Amino acid sequence: MKRAGFTTRWLPILLLLPQLAVIIVFFYWPAAQAVQSSFYLEDPFGFGSTFVGLDNYTYLAQSAEYAKIARFTLVFTILVTFFSLGLALLLAVKADKVIRGAKSYRTLLMWVYAVAPPVAGFIGLLMFNQSWGPLTELAKSFGWDFALGVNSTDTAAAMVLVSVWKQVPVNFIFFLSGLQSIPKSVREAALIDCSSAMRRFWDVTFPLLAPTGFFLLIINITYALFDTFGIVDVLVKGEPGNNPLTLVYKVYVDGFRGNDMGGSSAQSVVLMVLVLALTVVQFRLVERRIHYT
Amino acid sequence: MTDITPNQPPLAKRSLKWSTVMDHTVLILGSLFLLVPLLMVLQTTSTPDLETIKNGPGLAIGDQLDDNFMAAMFKASGFSGENTGMRMLMNSMILGIGFAIGKIVLGMMAAYALVYFRLRFATFAFWLIFTTLLLPLEVRILPSYEIAQKLGLLNTYTGLIVPLIASATATFFFRQYFRSIPEELVEAARIDGAGPVKFFIDILVPLSQTMIAAMFIIMFVYGWNQYLWPTMVTTDEDMYTLVRGIKQLTQDLEGTSIPEYGRANMLALIAILPPVLIVIFFQSWFVKGLTESDK
Amino acid sequence: MKKLTLGTAAALTLMANTAFAETEITWWHGMGGALGDTVNEIAKGFNASQDEYKITPSFKGTYEETLTAGIAAFRAGEQPNVLQVFDAGAATVIGAKGATMAVQDLLESNGVEFNIEDYISGVRYFYADADGKMIGMPFNSSSPVMYYNVQALEKAGVTPPKTWEEFQTVTAPALKDAGYVAMTQSHLPWVFVENFMSRNDMPFATNDNGYNGAEGTKILTNTPELKAHFTAMADWKEKGYFEWFGTGWGDNQTPFEEGKVGIWFGSSGSFGGLSKQDLPFDFSATYLPYWESVTTEPKQTFIGGAALFAMAGKSDEENKATTEFFKYLTSPEVQYMWHRETGYVPITTAAYDMAKADGHYDRFPAAEVGIQQLSLEASENTRGYRMGFYVQIRDVMNREFGRIFTGETSVDDAFNAIEKEANELLARFAKTQN
Repeated sequence: MKRAGFTTRWLPILLLLPQLAVIIVFFYWPAAQAVQSSFYLEDPFGFGSTFVGLDNYTYLAQSAEYAKIARFTLVFTILVTFFSLGLALLLAVKADKVIRGAKSYRTLLMWVYAVAPPVAGFIGLLMFNQSWGPLTELAKSFGWDFALGVNSTDTAAAMVLVSVWKQVPVNFIFFLSGLQSIPKSVREAALIDCSSAMRRFWDVTFPLLAPTGFFLLIINITYALFDTFGIVDVLVKGEPGNNPLTLVYKVYVDGFRGNDMGGSSAQSVVLMVLVLALTVVQFRLVERRIHYT
Repeated sequence: MTDITPNQPPLAKRSLKWSTVMDHTVLILGSLFLLVPLLMVLQTTSTPDLETIKNGPGLAIGDQLDDNFMAAMFKASGFSGENTGMRMLMNSMILGIGFAIGKIVLGMMAAYALVYFRLRFATFAFWLIFTTLLLPLEVRILPSYEIAQKLGLLNTYTGLIVPLIASATATFFFRQYFRSIPEELVEAARIDGAGPVKFFIDILVPLSQTMIAAMFIIMFVYGWNQYLWPTMVTTDEDMYTLVRGIKQLTQDLEGTSIPEYGRANMLALIAILPPVLIVIFFQSWFVKGLTESDK
Repeated sequence: MKKLTLGTAAALTLMANTAFAETEITWWHGMGGALGDTVNEIAKGFNASQDEYKITPSFKGTYEETLTAGIAAFRAGEQPNVLQVFDAGAATVIGAKGATMAVQDLLESNGVEFNIEDYISGVRYFYADADGKMIGMPFNSSSPVMYYNVQALEKAGVTPPKTWEEFQTVTAPALKDAGYVAMTQSHLPWVFVENFMSRNDMPFATNDNGYNGAEGTKILTNTPELKAHFTAMADWKEKGYFEWFGTGWGDNQTPFEEGKVGIWFGSSGSFGGLSKQDLPFDFSATYLPYWESVTTEPKQTFIGGAALFAMAGKSDEENKATTEFFKYLTSPEVQYMWHRETGYVPITTAAYDMAKADGHYDRFPAAEVGIQQLSLEASENTRGYRMGFYVQIRDVMNREFGRIFTGETSVDDAFNAIEKEANELLARFAKTQN
């Protein structure tokens, strides 16, 4: 740790205590129960149960459908993260540049932020309705016979679009405030040093946005993996069918919807381990390069 | 891209204009992409439900706005008559604000301890907290429910709020932020003889205003938008939240009835308003804060 | 008994304060929208009909969310008195002996006479155990029926098909020539697997359709008859007789409402929604067709929808209240009201007679089809099925059927996958029951 900081003994412990208490009671305790029940097949009401060792895990490992869902989740997460960050960055850079109407744009671009994921899903259903959805019509006018819920590629496209739609404003707000916190002196220096706007962006602005970007990257990956649940649930109309699914939705389908406690707990544990690994790697790779000024 | 910022001395007047037009085009397209769907939802709240079901959103503004608004706000859809739009609005508000404040207070305290103190188990504590970013409440909802019950938290605001707080986003955010604050600040404070509590309250908290505002927005909206946990933990109708109310209105089994789309869509729009107002309110405030610190 | 929690303590204080010492009971259900309003009406009616008991219904989300909320609450000792459980969740709730009280036992032990013959034939055994004892009280009961567009069939010069052979050779080509998609349907596993078995008098699973216990139960879908049906459907799709609009219910119903489709397979409960729509054509309904090549004696179908279960672990006082509520619920007046308002079938013959006497079916002939079909001849294959993790099994079916109709898989591969995955799920479920 680079921070020298204070040396008081009891204060930090006192400060950490509430957070740790809440986490231990409402996170680790239930999580431990999930790990435990991943080794059992149990009646959800709690009457019968059989210890099955690693059966729940081997069942997942052998399931071709589960592998398919994992692959889709990966692609989905990459697409949602990339497009919602990219689009937001583009808009933020533009909003930072314009002088006239900057405030109106900022206000307009923030509205969607507040939409709840299931409500975003409902709006998606409205846009992609099979008989009159405006976006269905639009796709058809380009010769794309779009059918939400029938063709799994189309359904996937709708999921990505709605998820991006909902996430752009959050990223926009952060990028914009990141951009606006770049000191004037730096901007002016950059203006003298490099003449190309593109180079100026990549050499000066982008590195300075890196801490914001890293934070947003994590937030967006978590969003794409987990918080899109409500969107997926509504867009598939509550029926997995032949639709593409994400890993979290699968946990919900098997655990919450299908009452397969053991199977869904094993999935939660797999998910936990996967994301933990991902985060550690991210930390190692990215945090080293980011300069905190 | 021929991208030239307006504050650059004009090389040629034409290219300058061209880039401004480009900027505005991008921003207008972006705004349309985000807003048109909402406008379409608004339109459907003005037409009869049957019309919406048959033809979807259109251009005509109907005469149902008033009725749908009244129904959304004041008509109860439950047994007790207590879950009106007003009541649900209030519950969502309590959930959103309680959640946001809880997260920020706990998160700041924990982040402060992690960044500014020499703590033997700091890394361990950080990971202990940070791991909680990973597993959303949805996947551990059954054990969480049992625990909430054991603690007597069913049908209470505490039960609604506290289990949701058990994740690290705020702590993580404040940690990142504190680490970006110049170290000289602590040094200076110590030379001035300020203790850790004084430093926290007098220097760090005011300095973090903008971050707090940002966190408040994120957390308020997150809490506001919860669905599954509130459904589980509350059974009393006077505890229902808005998102739950919306889902209740749109539910239909086997085509037995026609859902009240107009009312549900109106409720959805009403549900968007408070967070948007908070976002807009805090936005101008924290952008101002940011530019002021930039002298 | 469980220890006194804060919640019950508060409830007790409240109760002490009311003038009448009413016994309060709770009812968790998954009926939103207009159905929820009717549920509330029933509860209010019950509360107004006497002053000893008070029931409070509470909307808990979808069917699945309601069941899961009930399970979580049961584990925590906070279960409601009455829980609504849907058809696919029946094995879970009935398998967990000790979670519920058989409704038949509950009624009888509280001095209410119970005779299963009072109930409409197709309703009796879906939520019963192997011995035919009724465990859950059928509530919103529906059966798949065949709706048709009267003008479309007239224009094509055909009558509603009685058999699939007739549909294939006569009805569908004529409807297509008249400019219609011959048929759509809204729930493949329910209409074309579960009730296909019942209607064509075929077993659906070993162990007596699963009623004799979870251990060793295997699904029997990989049969030439069922595969032939789906091969025919894929062929019909090729020929433009059949369209599939995804797994969503409404997406498949809408084209029928728009008048583009001649025949639509939906629920007897859909009657309510259809009749509120002011459709541009007359619609009517009749029985599900059967394959003459499979059986010449088509049987009745069984119910879908959901049932009400009395949760265990409640005081005698409260159980008495639950009994009274069930008694009220099954009374002809309430059943007829429910039937009239929602389109779900009345579960007792007395209520059915009352609807007939009131002229309900003279006004809405299509409303009667579901009950008539549920009252056709029964056999050992028409009681229903009892398979665990059936929600997931349905998901597998929906997935594979979807892939058949989008051309991603063949009928053979699909049925092999269904058999394999369903049997794995059944074996896993059996292990949860020890």
